[in-house]
Amino acid sequence: MMQAALSTVGVPRGESAGLWTLAWRRFCRDRVGLASFLIVVFFFGMMLASGLHLIARDWSEEVGVNYAPPTFMGTAIPDRTAPVAPDSSGSKSTRESEIRQPGEGGGIDIADPLADVLAEIRAEFSGATAETGKAPTLVFGGDRWGRDVLKKAIKGTETSMFVGLAAAVLAAFLATVFGALAGYYGGWIDDLFNWFYSVFTSIPYLLLILAIAAVLNQKGTLTVILILGFTGWTGIFRLVRAEYLKHKVREYIQAADAIGASHARRMFVHILPNVSHVILVQLSLHVVLFIKSEVVLSFLGFGVGVDTVSWGSMLNEAQNELILGYWWQLVAATIAMALLVTGFSLFTDALRDALDPKLK
Amino acid sequence: MLAYVVRRLWQIVPTLLGVVLLVFFLFTWFGGDPAYLLAGKISNPEQIESIRRQLGVDRPYYVQLWIFIQQIATGDFGESWSTNEKVSAIFATRLGPSLTVLVPLLAVDTLLAIAAAMLVAYVRGSLTDRMVMISCTVGQSISILVYIIVFQYVLAYQLGWFPVQGWGNGFAENLLKYSLLPIIVGVIVSLAPDTRLYRSFFLDEINQDYVRTARAKGMSETRVMWVHVLRNASIPIITNVMIQLPGLLAGAFLIERFFSIPGIGREVILAVERSDFPVIKAVTIYVAIATMIINLITDLLYKVVDPRVQLK
Amino acid sequence: MTSVNSADTLISIRDLRVDFRLDRTTISQAVRGISFDIPVNSTVALVGESGSGKSVTALAILGLLPRENATVPAGSQILYGGRNLLALAPGELQKLRGADISMIFQEPMSSLNPVFTVGFQLTEVLTKHLGMTGRQARSRALEILREVGIPEPETRIDAYPFQLSGGQQQRAMIAIAIACEPKLLIADEPTTALDVTIQKQILELIAALQKRLRMSVLFITHDLVLVGEIADYVVVMREGEIKEQGRVEQIFEAPRDAYTRALLLCRPQLERRPRRLPVIDDFMKPGPLAGGSLEERSRGLRGDEEIILEARHLGKSFYSREGLFGKREFKAVRDVSFKLARGKTLGIVGESGSGKTTVALTLLRLRGESSGEALFDGKDLLSIPQQETMPYKRRIQIVFQNPYASLNPRFTIGQLLMEPLQVHGIGSNESERRDRVYKLLEEVGLPEVSFFKYPHEFSGGQRQRIAIARCLTMKPDVLICDEAVSALDVSIQAQILNLLQDLQDEHHMSYIFIWHDLAVVKYMADQVMVMNEGEVVEVANSDDIYRNPQHPYTKKLLSSIPRGWRGARAH
Repeated sequence: MMQAALSTVGVPRGESAGLWTLAWRRFCRDRVGLASFLIVVFFFGMMLASGLHLIARDWSEEVGVNYAPPTFMGTAIPDRTAPVAPDSSGSKSTRESEIRQPGEGGGIDIADPLADVLAEIRAEFSGATAETGKAPTLVFGGDRWGRDVLKKAIKGTETSMFVGLAAAVLAAFLATVFGALAGYYGGWIDDLFNWFYSVFTSIPYLLLILAIAAVLNQKGTLTVILILGFTGWTGIFRLVRAEYLKHKVREYIQAADAIGASHARRMFVHILPNVSHVILVQLSLHVVLFIKSEVVLSFLGFGVGVDTVSWGSMLNEAQNELILGYWWQLVAATIAMALLVTGFSLFTDALRDALDPKLK
Repeated sequence: MLAYVVRRLWQIVPTLLGVVLLVFFLFTWFGGDPAYLLAGKISNPEQIESIRRQLGVDRPYYVQLWIFIQQIATGDFGESWSTNEKVSAIFATRLGPSLTVLVPLLAVDTLLAIAAAMLVAYVRGSLTDRMVMISCTVGQSISILVYIIVFQYVLAYQLGWFPVQGWGNGFAENLLKYSLLPIIVGVIVSLAPDTRLYRSFFLDEINQDYVRTARAKGMSETRVMWVHVLRNASIPIITNVMIQLPGLLAGAFLIERFFSIPGIGREVILAVERSDFPVIKAVTIYVAIATMIINLITDLLYKVVDPRVQLK
Repeated sequence: MTSVNSADTLISIRDLRVDFRLDRTTISQAVRGISFDIPVNSTVALVGESGSGKSVTALAILGLLPRENATVPAGSQILYGGRNLLALAPGELQKLRGADISMIFQEPMSSLNPVFTVGFQLTEVLTKHLGMTGRQARSRALEILREVGIPEPETRIDAYPFQLSGGQQQRAMIAIAIACEPKLLIADEPTTALDVTIQKQILELIAALQKRLRMSVLFITHDLVLVGEIADYVVVMREGEIKEQGRVEQIFEAPRDAYTRALLLCRPQLERRPRRLPVIDDFMKPGPLAGGSLEERSRGLRGDEEIILEARHLGKSFYSREGLFGKREFKAVRDVSFKLARGKTLGIVGESGSGKTTVALTLLRLRGESSGEALFDGKDLLSIPQQETMPYKRRIQIVFQNPYASLNPRFTIGQLLMEPLQVHGIGSNESERRDRVYKLLEEVGLPEVSFFKYPHEFSGGQRQRIAIARCLTMKPDVLICDEAVSALDVSIQAQILNLLQDLQDEHHMSYIFIWHDLAVVKYMADQVMVMNEGEVVEVANSDDIYRNPQHPYTKKLLSSIPRGWRGARAH
């Protein structure tokens, strides 16, 4: 095997650095990683600001005309409340007979889950704002009720980040405890947790989430976090368990045993610090996974409540708007989500490289 | 070998029991009284009563559990609460369309991902490599919903290259006309993560000692990649493909819903939206059983693919 | 090697430099401008410790350096047949590899492709370079396998690498390498991973093949003594540079460079037992050798010493599943008994799989249930209930083989050394414990500032010192050293062995020394116990066992020890 001729023999360096310091240094040298880290921090800040009601507090107010176009697009398009044939080119005239709203089942009417509640909200507000006070264009356009799309996108960020982070922390916590116990003790404890694991992984992830959502029949941020957290621990569990199995037979643990360290000490004082970098990377990966799952859930109407904005609900609304030619809500939600998820993914890659460098 | 299979089948039992218990408690405990849910769907009070009796809602839990187990064993889950169709019939008819879309999807996606990953692994570290990887990352960050909505709108609605949605009668018609756009969307969505994954498999293999030996023997780089590396990397690739199989049975929920493909996935979504418990329960159990059997087949497949494996 | 004229030179290496990029900002110079020749039909040994650049040099010849981070600056030349190998196009280079120049590696298990049969990997070379058809290649492959000494070649040809033993795997690799009758065989530490008895067989095989095929062999190793038996020329490298090169007689009889001399003498030799082993520093500093190196130390038990630890009929089995319900038992240790005298050293020798490590781990109850008794201070260690083992854990400690794995990478040295004190409640407060640790660091030869550092900042030898210090925190009566220096370079080995000896002299600890290297055991131990396949084969005072081995296995072990050049010529 090859070895580079580093002079490893001899004087220890002036300052000493543990894993995290070394990783941080390595991380800082990776420009892509740093950029993505800044994106993540930016979104995190947005989440906090939005959550503390510093920005986008008034997202639900109908400040613009219905379907107000983005300011950079120009003047407002006349209000269209019924689907008509799009006017772009002639080839579509033959399509008229086939026009149905995409996404609806053949003949089966899917009720707009938001309709009732929104009608309520409109009724509440109808007294306060007169029709005349509405802006013709908004920064990134308005939705069907004239609400500011940009503000909705920001609020959606808050929802998604919060749900993603909270669910990931919950899942990671469960997985770490389960994985540590299973990997370290082995025997019947391992069998028990493996049984749990088999049961949960026998059912495809999305199916499981949908089934639970159907049963609970209850929307809300907390519900979503719990559902995602309690079903999403399996991936991390497998890795943590494998790590514990690996480390348990390593010589430094045997040495700790020889010294007389107790089981708990070995598990959490000795092994856990050696596994924490794996857990961190997995946590980061799962944030991304949960954000995407939350969007799908909210889209289907099983996610967060109607008084909370999610990119999922924005996409749901965007479906219908698209045929009418109003693309801005779709684009806003997509861009916001793409930025956050790409940023987070690149950040996760950089994190992994910093903590566990391999020459690529 | 036989002993191994028997032992594995034996091990499936507790897992299956666990799934049954999970589903049962989920639906019975959290699900609430079906009468409440049914009231909105079935107006006939006698019908509701008969269903309640059938489910044994007023009886103690262990009796209900026993009824449930019987249902699983006989494959008769009763009727859908919304359409009154027999659940088992629902399956029989819906499985076909799901597979018509998903089998080609899986095949095309796997082949393309392997090819892409090999090429990228070959030029690892270069600019091409990084660009491809970053586009994969960006591609993955866009929700599948967006892909479906946009592709449907642009390619089907605006340009008219494909039907917007629907399903036909003949197999060929279904495959060549109605399945194409769904397959394209599905491939695009899964290509990015699979390429990344397979690339990591290839890179893991390229760094192994035996690759150095193969080069030392004078083998060309092409042969090293396509014969030596691919053969070893095929092991985790096959694992990955097998893991995706149970998903085939559950159907690609969103794709089927959007494109109005009458498959299992769409049924599930509809059932979830309508709180149609018998359907959801049945699908969950069936898919779970299928997953366990597929896992067993995967392990047996290992023996064929990896000579080091010894089944114990 | 100026004495060789160009007609006899097969490969000429001129001013070879290799740089490695470790990360974005660090470049390390693995090879710094070396030159030597490989003559035809002769064996050249390239000797050096880890980090010397010897393997890198070998890989450079075949162009196998990883292209992502290794660069060979212009000006370096490797001349073969009038061409510079470093400047060849990949297609040309591929024609040479495996046909004119072949290479075998250190780890045969991972160097063979695990999913293809031995036959496939062997015929691949024949079809590519010699243009044979499938059937021709197969029959030729059988011949070659027979020649390298693989038993039952007809069945082995269709076997997968994992189905062969380590020695057979290496033979298979050799078969692949010589299939096309190359002019140069590069062997990169081919025997380091093998047992001593197998080592000898492989060496003999390579030597026989070299003679028959009249090829040159470039043999890379860290073990100078090993080389003495097979080499014609020796090149000694250190930290990327050549320290000395010449014919083997000259290197062994009249080494000119201090480093070469250090390499030769730092190893414990069978014939002598100086009080202290000389270390590299002794040679690098000018002046005569330190006086203490010349005195001899006597060892052996008289029979009337106090016995501190006695093992009786130790046994340990491992179980694996078989069939539907059955269990298969593997007896790692069967009926092992020995006595350890206070202040003395017992050496346990055996090859891999002999059970020697399991014996040690069993004594410490690190491996679960076992049978037999281990009497320590009157009590049977193996039958004490789990909760009461703490006071005894202090008194028997172990130093493990792998210095890179036995220290928790996340702990500072201070935390590592304080932990045993905290766990056992030694010392009345933190600052008292800290003082103890500082004193220990000094005792093992490490600076005080190490307290705040992490293990990865230290070299292998330094980490072993830390591991030893960790054991000393509890002032044990018995210290078990399980191959504690075999992962280290010879010169570092000598330092650690000296340290261990000093500590024994100072604290009157009793040692159990587990080893595979007989020369080291003879140097360190008073009594030697030879194990094979879980059983004790012979026990005797160390001098007696070497002069007068009784059991055939002991004799076999003794004969496998490389004796260096003098030994080879003497036969």
